[in-house]
Amino acid sequence: MAWWWRWPTQLVMEVLHSSLPNKNAFKALIAAEYSGVKIEVVKGFQFGVSNKEPNFIKMNPIGKIPVLETPDGPVFESNSIARYVSRLMADNPLHGSSLIEYAQIEQWMDFATTEIDPYIGRWLYPRMGFFPYNAQRALSALNAHLATKTFLVGHRVTLADIVMGCNLYYGFIWIMTRNFTSEFPHVERYFWTVVNQPNFRKVIGDVKQADLIPPIPSKKAAVQPKEAKKEASKEEPKPKAVEVEEEEVPKPKPKNPLDLLSPSKMILDEWKRLYSNTKTNFREVAIKGFWDMYDPEGYSLWFCNYKYNDENTVSFVTLNKVSGFLQRMDLARKYAFGKMLVIGSEPPYKVKGLWLFRGKEIPGFVIDECYDMELYQWSKVDITDEAQKERVNAMIEDQEPFEGEALLDAKCFK
Amino acid sequence: MAFVLHTGLPNKNAFKALIAAAYSGVEIEVVKNFQMGVSNKTPEFIKMNPIGKVPVLETPDGPVFESNAIARYVTRVKADNPLYGSSLIEYAQIEQWIDFSTTEIDANLRRWLGPRLGFEPYNAQTEDVIIGSLKRGLDALNIHLASRTYLVGDTVTLADIVMGCNLYWGFTRSMTKSFTSEFPHVERYFWTIVNQPNFLKILGDVKQAESVLPIASKKPTAQPKESSKPKEILKPKEAKKKKLRKKSQSPR
Ligand SMILES: N[C@@H](CCC(=O)N[C@@H](CS)C(=O)NCC(=O)O)C(=O)O
Ligand SMILES: N[C@@H](CCC(=O)N[C@@H](CS)C(=O)NCC(=O)O)C(=O)O
Repeated sequence: MAWWWRWPTQLVMEVLHSSLPNKNAFKALIAAEYSGVKIEVVKGFQFGVSNKEPNFIKMNPIGKIPVLETPDGPVFESNSIARYVSRLMADNPLHGSSLIEYAQIEQWMDFATTEIDPYIGRWLYPRMGFFPYNAQRALSALNAHLATKTFLVGHRVTLADIVMGCNLYYGFIWIMTRNFTSEFPHVERYFWTVVNQPNFRKVIGDVKQADLIPPIPSKKAAVQPKEAKKEASKEEPKPKAVEVEEEEVPKPKPKNPLDLLSPSKMILDEWKRLYSNTKTNFREVAIKGFWDMYDPEGYSLWFCNYKYNDENTVSFVTLNKVSGFLQRMDLARKYAFGKMLVIGSEPPYKVKGLWLFRGKEIPGFVIDECYDMELYQWSKVDITDEAQKERVNAMIEDQEPFEGEALLDAKCFK
Repeated sequence: MAFVLHTGLPNKNAFKALIAAAYSGVEIEVVKNFQMGVSNKTPEFIKMNPIGKVPVLETPDGPVFESNAIARYVTRVKADNPLYGSSLIEYAQIEQWIDFSTTEIDANLRRWLGPRLGFEPYNAQTEDVIIGSLKRGLDALNIHLASRTYLVGDTVTLADIVMGCNLYWGFTRSMTKSFTSEFPHVERYFWTIVNQPNFLKILGDVKQAESVLPIASKKPTAQPKESSKPKEILKPKEAKKKKLRKKSQSPR
């Protein structure tokens, strides 16, 4: 990449328009610490007032903070500002040391922005009452990446860590309690490592993880997230410096009640393997094998029927609904097996399924955490009824025609 | 072949890289027979991108994911690429519009269309808020474009590629003429961009949506989850589910 000449930074001043604390402004300020760049933060900035003034709108037409005023003109969007600041230092190690490292750095900056940030806005949790599946999915992906790494790219702090650290920061101080983050131990370890780097501490100060998830202030605020209360919620820095070395081992999560059930002779994974590996003679091998291992004391079978089939008028949207459901069932992977059939050769399509759950009832946590459950009518399979048993077989097998109709698709949860 | 893109097509996020490649004289091969929902769930794919999303670019030095990062990488492969402008401040402005396009336009489009595509629960009240945020973004973009042909400088840059692809999704899926006519400079800009030869090569002819995608489900599933305490929220649901769950066990 070309290096462009400009005034040596000591001679000019970069001015940041923002209130503080603000995690998006922190990105630029931390990058500046690493890059030896001086940034002046405007004094007396009033959030909600200063950023609505005509002079501000001229710098950023959407009227959001932060904005950096450079000698060559204004720059908005916090990641771009951080990039600009780090570019003021030639060959800045924040950008890694090769083209591919730079690409990986940008990849994690974008991941932090598109996959992490949208789901940990402090308004989201209280509004929805649970961490959306998407947040957990992104954090597990990040956790997997960090399992063998101290920082996101290479062996030192890069711009990616600055952006990721700042985006995680709001999550950690507002909504992501220890109980939640302990599921992602590498993300935890990473976060504390990053925010305890001297250049981060200079800008952010002490960081304290949320003890409690804040309730929503009012219905209105719940619908229209506002940043305005930020100043009020300013964290009182508590003298609780979290040293990485002192980090206790994450507490084990409370056990899932299903793990406390008396052991069953049926091993779910064995069934899943049999199902996946049976390529021919499905009835003789897989289905027979299923009933041989089925343990009605430790498991239960359920039919489900989508309640709003008349709305299934577009095939790909119907398929998306079903794959979305299966994705959200991820949390039950250890305790469930399912088949979902999308039935009919033309709209409206019918969606029907069969599920095998550990325990004699549908697990409570599945009902509570997977909103799709209430979109279906559920009935327990009576395995003494041969007709119902045959229906189970047909569904496991993707038998076509099913109840007289063609199958548009059959999806399996295993 | 040096660069291999893993993605299903058409996909506006993959288009970013392909259009940037067309401008940069970089060759990218798209894997054949990619099956969304299958190919991106294999262990080999997860090794390239732990979240299992497309697109992913396989380079001789390893994989890169996140479509904007891929497009940037492809652009940098060519030294002194004019797609990145010609000065530090232009570079910063290009980045600024790439990020703006992602956080203020695309994020709102995703939240608007997600429920309509069946990916997430639909909630009318939330949708109004989302459309409001999208319009605020488009309004700011409209102001910027009032006196400009391209986002930065006098030629197409990487910012136009990312913005064009994100708008493409909106224009073809949900932003009808009556919606976009509020933003005449955005309209004019969009049609200018998608008719550039390098865009035409990848996108083909573009046709604006005639109607908004219908709502996937009218059932307002998100409603009961609006109240303040998770525990209380579950009560009404549990009542309905009584027949299902005779022994109500409280998890965790
Ligand atoms: N994508 C932008 C987001 C900036 C942003 O949302 N700023 C908020 C404060 S953190 C704001 O200025 N809100 C004022 C408003 O919405 O009017 C960035 O990263 O800079
Ligand atoms: N921020 C990512 C978003 C990628 C994304 O959402 N990809 C979708 C297709 S456009 C996907 O792979 N979805 C599959 C899934 O969620 O499993 C990017 O820009 O690359």
